Amino acid sequence: MAIAKKAYKALESIVSAEYISTDPVVCEGYRAGPGGYECGLGYERVMTKLPACVIMPRTTEEVQKIVKVCNRYKVPYVPFSTGWYGARSHPHVDNELLIDLKRMADFEIDEKHLYAVVGSGIIYSQLQEEAMKRGMYIVVGGGGSQVSAIANMLGDGWSPLSYRIGLPHRRILGTELVLPDGEIVRMGSLALGDDPFWGDGLGPDLRGLLRGFTGLRGCLGIVTKMAIKLLPFQPERLEPSGISPDTTLLLPEKRVKWINFTMPSKDAMRRAMYEMAKAEIGAGATKVPLFWRVIAKAESKEEFWELWSKENEETIKNFHILRVLLIGFASEEQLEYEERVLMDIITELGGEARRTRPSDESWFKNADSAGMWLMCGGYVSVDYVIETVEHAIPHGENYAKLKRKFTPPLMPDYGDPGWFQSFELGHQGYSEFLVYWDPDENTDGVDHFYLETSKENIRKRFYTSLLGPHQPLYLTGPAYGPNYHKWLLAVKNEFDPNFVCHPPVPLAHDEFVERAPWMKPMKDWESPEIKP
Amino acid sequence: MSVKQRLLKLVGSDRLADDTETLEGYSKDFSLVPPGVPNYVIKPKDAQEIQQVIKFANENLIPVVPVSSKVHFYGATIPKQGGIVLDLSGMNKVLEIDELNKRVRIEVGVTWEQLTGVLGEKGFRMIMPLLPHPQRSVVTDWLEREVPTSTVYDYGEPLQGMEVVWPTGEIFRTGSASVAGYPDSPSKGANPSGPGLDFYRFLQGAQGTMGVVTWANLKIEYLPKMDKILFAPVPDLSHAIDFLYRVLRIRVIQECLLLNSINLAAIIAQDLPHDFDQLRASLPPWTLILVISGMQRRPEEQLHYEEEVLYRVAKDEFPEISLACSLPGLPGLDEKLLPLLRQPWPDGVTYWKNRYKGACHSLFFITKPVLAPRFIERVREIAVKFGYPPDDVGNYLQPIEHNRACHLEFNFFYDPANSAEVERVKKLSHYAAPILLEEGAFFTRPYGELAKLVYGKAVGYTAALKRVKKLFDPNSVMNPGNLCF
Amino acid sequence: MLKGKTSLDVTQIENFAFDMSKCIKCKGCYWVDHIYMPGVRFSTRCPSATRYLFDSYGAYGKMRIGLALLEGRLDYSDELLKTLYACPLCGACDVGCKRNLDLEIELTLEALRIKAVKDGKGPMPQHKKVAQNILTKHNRFGSSHENRGKWLPKGIKPLPKADVLYFVGCSAAYANPEIARATVKILGASGTPFMLMPDEWCCGNVLYSVGMIDEARKLAQRNVDAVRQAGATTLLLSCAEGYRMWRVDYPKLLNMPTADLGFRVVHLVEFVDELIKKGSLKLTKKVDLRLTYHDSCSLSRLSEPWVPWQGERGIWGTVSPKLERRRGTNGVYQQPRDILKAIPGVELVEMIRMRENAFCCGAGRGTLEAFPDFALWAAKQRLVEVKEVGAQAIVATCPWCKDNFSKAVKQNGEDIKVFDVSELILASIEA
Repeated sequence: MAIAKKAYKALESIVSAEYISTDPVVCEGYRAGPGGYECGLGYERVMTKLPACVIMPRTTEEVQKIVKVCNRYKVPYVPFSTGWYGARSHPHVDNELLIDLKRMADFEIDEKHLYAVVGSGIIYSQLQEEAMKRGMYIVVGGGGSQVSAIANMLGDGWSPLSYRIGLPHRRILGTELVLPDGEIVRMGSLALGDDPFWGDGLGPDLRGLLRGFTGLRGCLGIVTKMAIKLLPFQPERLEPSGISPDTTLLLPEKRVKWINFTMPSKDAMRRAMYEMAKAEIGAGATKVPLFWRVIAKAESKEEFWELWSKENEETIKNFHILRVLLIGFASEEQLEYEERVLMDIITELGGEARRTRPSDESWFKNADSAGMWLMCGGYVSVDYVIETVEHAIPHGENYAKLKRKFTPPLMPDYGDPGWFQSFELGHQGYSEFLVYWDPDENTDGVDHFYLETSKENIRKRFYTSLLGPHQPLYLTGPAYGPNYHKWLLAVKNEFDPNFVCHPPVPLAHDEFVERAPWMKPMKDWESPEIKP
Repeated sequence: MSVKQRLLKLVGSDRLADDTETLEGYSKDFSLVPPGVPNYVIKPKDAQEIQQVIKFANENLIPVVPVSSKVHFYGATIPKQGGIVLDLSGMNKVLEIDELNKRVRIEVGVTWEQLTGVLGEKGFRMIMPLLPHPQRSVVTDWLEREVPTSTVYDYGEPLQGMEVVWPTGEIFRTGSASVAGYPDSPSKGANPSGPGLDFYRFLQGAQGTMGVVTWANLKIEYLPKMDKILFAPVPDLSHAIDFLYRVLRIRVIQECLLLNSINLAAIIAQDLPHDFDQLRASLPPWTLILVISGMQRRPEEQLHYEEEVLYRVAKDEFPEISLACSLPGLPGLDEKLLPLLRQPWPDGVTYWKNRYKGACHSLFFITKPVLAPRFIERVREIAVKFGYPPDDVGNYLQPIEHNRACHLEFNFFYDPANSAEVERVKKLSHYAAPILLEEGAFFTRPYGELAKLVYGKAVGYTAALKRVKKLFDPNSVMNPGNLCF
Repeated sequence: MLKGKTSLDVTQIENFAFDMSKCIKCKGCYWVDHIYMPGVRFSTRCPSATRYLFDSYGAYGKMRIGLALLEGRLDYSDELLKTLYACPLCGACDVGCKRNLDLEIELTLEALRIKAVKDGKGPMPQHKKVAQNILTKHNRFGSSHENRGKWLPKGIKPLPKADVLYFVGCSAAYANPEIARATVKILGASGTPFMLMPDEWCCGNVLYSVGMIDEARKLAQRNVDAVRQAGATTLLLSCAEGYRMWRVDYPKLLNMPTADLGFRVVHLVEFVDELIKKGSLKLTKKVDLRLTYHDSCSLSRLSEPWVPWQGERGIWGTVSPKLERRRGTNGVYQQPRDILKAIPGVELVEMIRMRENAFCCGAGRGTLEAFPDFALWAAKQRLVEVKEVGAQAIVATCPWCKDNFSKAVKQNGEDIKVFDVSELILASIEA
């Protein structure tokens, strides 16, 4: 497996020998699995390959040159920030170049105008800390603090803090994109100057090329610079405390406070979210899935299972914890006011406040997302959807029903209907369905469940973030839009005529279904012959 | 069969017109863009008809110009190459009001007046730009990225999932409205993004060149239970802007804007010229207007903490800014202006920008607030150069989202019947725009002749945009001549 | 391999196939704990990955490489050996991973080196030279064994038998005698009788660290027997590397819990801290210094006592019997800080990366010998932090750290003082 010699020489001259390698040991270090997000599953085993070459550019100019070389010599490539998204972030074909963007770690912050300008090498905890030092904050995506801020802003980008802060799409400002054919598009105010403070297009907004609901997994170019909105926070410090593994941010309780409430029913929880939104109070409102609380309590995998085995369908059905974040942005009085209003709402709905630790390790710096793998070693979110709270609840319940058919190999969760929360002050709602399995057992059922959820969404007319590259494009395409896939592929063909940018994405899941014998029987939709 | 005959077959005679009077009605608007006459005007009743017309237009390479209302200020709906005007103003149903999810779904012909009335009855409102014309399309104003007066919501724009007929004729829904069978679905259309790509971005700022939106979901908010509007006279604009950098981050202010004296006078004058002239003479150079509110629960308590922090910051850090319920010499200004901020401009009254001289040419862009005074000074210099009285330049500074940026607007008033005045404003604007552009003005909505200027500079963006446009409109039928198309 | 019988025995790489296969690339092993993330600077704690950048140099890469080696998908090469050995085994990866998961990263890295040696491919040539020194002259420098005791100052008389046995170590004996001298003077000042090893040999840190397990085990047995025979109840060290060897790796090599050694293993800072708190030692002389404290890896992250374990791994990867994992929580973090704060005149400022987030000096566990440039680079990285917090001096608890920082300071031509904590304690004790 190799990159053509001429291509290699050209690439080496761009970055110098220190930052390029075809050594098999180096390349092995970039293997997708077997551990990781969505790893240990069929997609990872069938679709991912080792890179033939790894290159680490430092500047946009270098990235552009690399992409042009790839086009000239027909070298497939994949952009790679941290590789956290698992299988889908890694090479899928032979003789592929992996463009590791970690050296693009430039960082500037305009405190006055509430934005930071980052390269792909900057991760969320770095950005959050720089923001918080200056009285601002961001949403650290659910993927965790370790994800590249740019990659997450292109692909996901939400957490309970989205209740106040809103969708990531609206937080992308001036952005620089190296298109798959090597042309550069500068978006927002970067189109006309050097200051990326504003994101709107010149007329039509080409930020539409950066992502859909979720992202394009790097198949439509490489973002080399992005300005990201920062949001006003409050002035007190969230003090880091504790020694690993029990590190946490201590909250200045008069300005930042989480409160957990036991609610009498799921409907009460739902109504509480709506009432909070109506009152326009709060900075976060989320249902807490029971197994997260158990993970947080457990000091080891074994202890998790010991505790988890004590739960059952009844305990799950009757577990209604609403976790609310209050931030006194303006003053202590604001927090006190919001707490009074919140208590009015909770009391009306028959809920009760529980003792809540004045600390956070999950959402401000999101240090514990890796804990999702503690239980079983395998994890993926089979869906995460932003729609309305009304959509979120039945969506999760529907999945829970479907999931029974696939348990095992999925972890027993006693019918847990997933996680939901309120977004954009109640204008939207969020649901996420996370599944876990033992990757060292037969995982075909997980692959089936993953695809089955897509079909279920189509059947039941749910919206889903897992469109585009995440599920077979010819399955979801006709069902949404309709025929969004036609436009996506048209755009892809236009800007990547040589099909070198992360092939065969966005058709990778289609190809997976064709290639994996245990998946083929699930194919009950039409598709043209898949290009290799 | 002639073109007309074939069109008649598609839509019927009651919805197609090509008489001179009708056509001329679509050939001009309030802008300085030269007139352009369409060949036909069609009033479709639904997306399917629009689809038919567009498909026909593609087959016969006839331009299509979507028009959503009767009132236009920027020339975007003036046909540049003839063609068929699709007048969507009759598609004006309020389709759903979803109080629970604070959402409304409206057809593109719904006007501000119509919507504000309907929402107001239910205790709701939509954030709005400053004094939108009552007969303008709400959906179009948001598609065109009009800047809201509200600075408090982190999520800015209200647009959510919508329906569009692409220039190729396909009917398509964006965002979570894209599910099959919508609105008969658990999905309510509340998510604007996707599917696959963020199609809604291509439609924004598109001046009708990327497709015909037929309806959209938009966010609505509850009307506050209590409001307090405050004013501060502003002799020094930079100082007021510093104040805004400080207080808008505290997140207690709902609407917030800065108007210079001539603009505020044009808005609040009882009559012209007398009251207007008096106001011009007596108003401070600039006026800061801001609103704090008590929302749905314990509104007095909310107002209390908001006032407390606002006044404390003003007193401790900006003693020159004195906030009050009115301006000196203008009692009752609060009662007058607050409703104006929550309603479109009153119907039947000459639009405020046209009150002074009959017409107004606006030049506006996005910038950092700290840069505004410099731009203002620049334009004053340029006005003098062209013999336009600098004190006659209207200014409107609209902070955006906690003052991270602002919309800065220059209004040049002129008598449309006076050709010298018309020429003067044209020349002034033509001269000023490239200078402002060079100095960092970000013209994200390049109307009229700004388009050539802006796209000429943004070479990379323009090239990419044209490539995208070609995919959606291979026959270039959708409003050719606008933007860079 | 992934299910069934398993243990923490580092001589069998198969025991760590599960761990290698479950790395999720979260890079918690690379980044400072996100709770403590200070911003865009000083954000990493893995020297190898920070220096060499390719993912193969982080634990996330090494786990994959190890698995490939085990499964026969990868051959040994210079690059592979560099990946395994250009790494101070500082434990940052282990602790970082274990914040959220239960993978044995450090043991896996040790096991991979052991495998490389077993397969005849490791260690690095420079390590073999050092090994030769240790085996023939009982010290890593290859100096004369007879000179090992020359550091002892006049007037200090160790007893032939005492409860406390001071294990000096090669570094202090030959290269940093000021540390050994300060230590024994401190013992004297506190009225603590002590003895030395009748015939002190190298602790074998380099041997074990580079994977030469058989040699290391023989040395461990010899040394433990010697202490038991000497009848000491407390083994005192002023070298963090040596401390870790005795407290953790000797029990590991001899397949016994630390508690069964038959004597306490204690670092000088633990000892002195106890004395100060008991009132038996008073720090009274002023030392006017704005200093910062460097957490030596082997005293902090890597120092928790060892308990051997074997059992079964079953569904979901759960193990039985219960396994208390060593996560670095109970390292010796606080005692040196309390000591420094107790010295009058000292202003202790913390570096940005402290405690379990500390950035290794780069010298330890075979790195200095085989990759001296890398070791110096790591020390220089740390000195940037010293300057960032405006400290005049850096203090550590290990001659390896002191030596490496001193070299870096000299090469940089800077005015930063480098101390071992023993020197400052001594300076503050009334003569």
